Amino acid sequence: MRWFRADLHIHSALSPCGSLAMSPRRIVEEARKAGLSLIAICDHNAGENGVYVRRLAREFPVVLMGMEIQASEEVEILALFPEEEPCLALQEELYALLPPIPNDPELFGDQVVVDENEEIVRTVDKLLLSPVPLSLEEVTRRVEARGGLVIPAHVDRVPGGLLGVLGLFPPGEWPAVEIAPWTEVEEAKKRWPELQGRHLFRSSDAHYPKEIGRAWTELYLRAPTFSELSRAILEGGGRIIRPGPPLKEVGWSA
Amino acid sequence: MKLREVAEKLGLEFLVAAAPEAEVEDGYVSDLLSDVLAHAQPKQLWITHQRHLNVVAVAKLRELSGVVFARGIRPGPEVIQKAREEGLNLLVSSADAFETAGRLHRLLFP
Repeated sequence: MRWFRADLHIHSALSPCGSLAMSPRRIVEEARKAGLSLIAICDHNAGENGVYVRRLAREFPVVLMGMEIQASEEVEILALFPEEEPCLALQEELYALLPPIPNDPELFGDQVVVDENEEIVRTVDKLLLSPVPLSLEEVTRRVEARGGLVIPAHVDRVPGGLLGVLGLFPPGEWPAVEIAPWTEVEEAKKRWPELQGRHLFRSSDAHYPKEIGRAWTELYLRAPTFSELSRAILEGGGRIIRPGPPLKEVGWSA
Repeated sequence: MKLREVAEKLGLEFLVAAAPEAEVEDGYVSDLLSDVLAHAQPKQLWITHQRHLNVVAVAKLRELSGVVFARGIRPGPEVIQKAREEGLNLLVSSADAFETAGRLHRLLFP
């Protein structure tokens, strides 16, 4: 086994709040520059641009399909998948459930699927920044039913973090959680003792190219793959998950 | 003022009347449970849109006199079940949070 650097929360041009410059090509370039071996493309309630990032990256870095799903409590979770099909199927399921609020690109930004040649494949009409009308538990169930991994995003953050919104962990496993890019681990464990004994991930939550890899997680694995990541969380077996250093600059917090 | 009287005067419907004689001294309005955990005070009546199960645990931890779901929002059966088990008052207001809080404030601090 050896150490790999992972950034499992990167937005693309498909997120309205994500920069249009976050094309698959640019994401791959920046991820390579940042020395990342494993990344995940997690747009708000959508995962389609992951398909094109994977085509370009050719496993350098390894790219997981993903989504940042906003549950009805306005808690956000990362859903990671080893394959394209289950992620795209869930994306379609969630899209049908999203409220019929059209995106106003002037107000929120563009929501575009961009291919490996920097061409716009399509524009997504409904605003992806809305919560889906499913509880956190139901979202979790649907992700896991499709073979995905659930990692609650930036748990200590308000808005959007599980602990920030819900105050404490609801019943359930939640073995792995993401902390905000700027969170000091020891301070967070004092404020939220329930973080003890859970695997803590740190990611960039990048919305702009220069933010990719600004925060990361060190993984000690056989290979930077979904199955090794999954085993690190569920089994251990000598695998290690260690959040990288916090960003100096603090953003949203509780 | 007793919760039963507050409910009558504000037209609140009891979903779980675990302790209708509970004292209401004040109110609190928030949808963020972390905020309620940090800042709500005992004997406050909590007005919220949040219907996650953790509402019950947070309200008990802060020793609130009850939870009022605003704008006719109804929590799921597991929340109601949990509130019964924990002895927590749950109510619904057909008015929105602003109106409900305004009426409660006028009632408690005329």
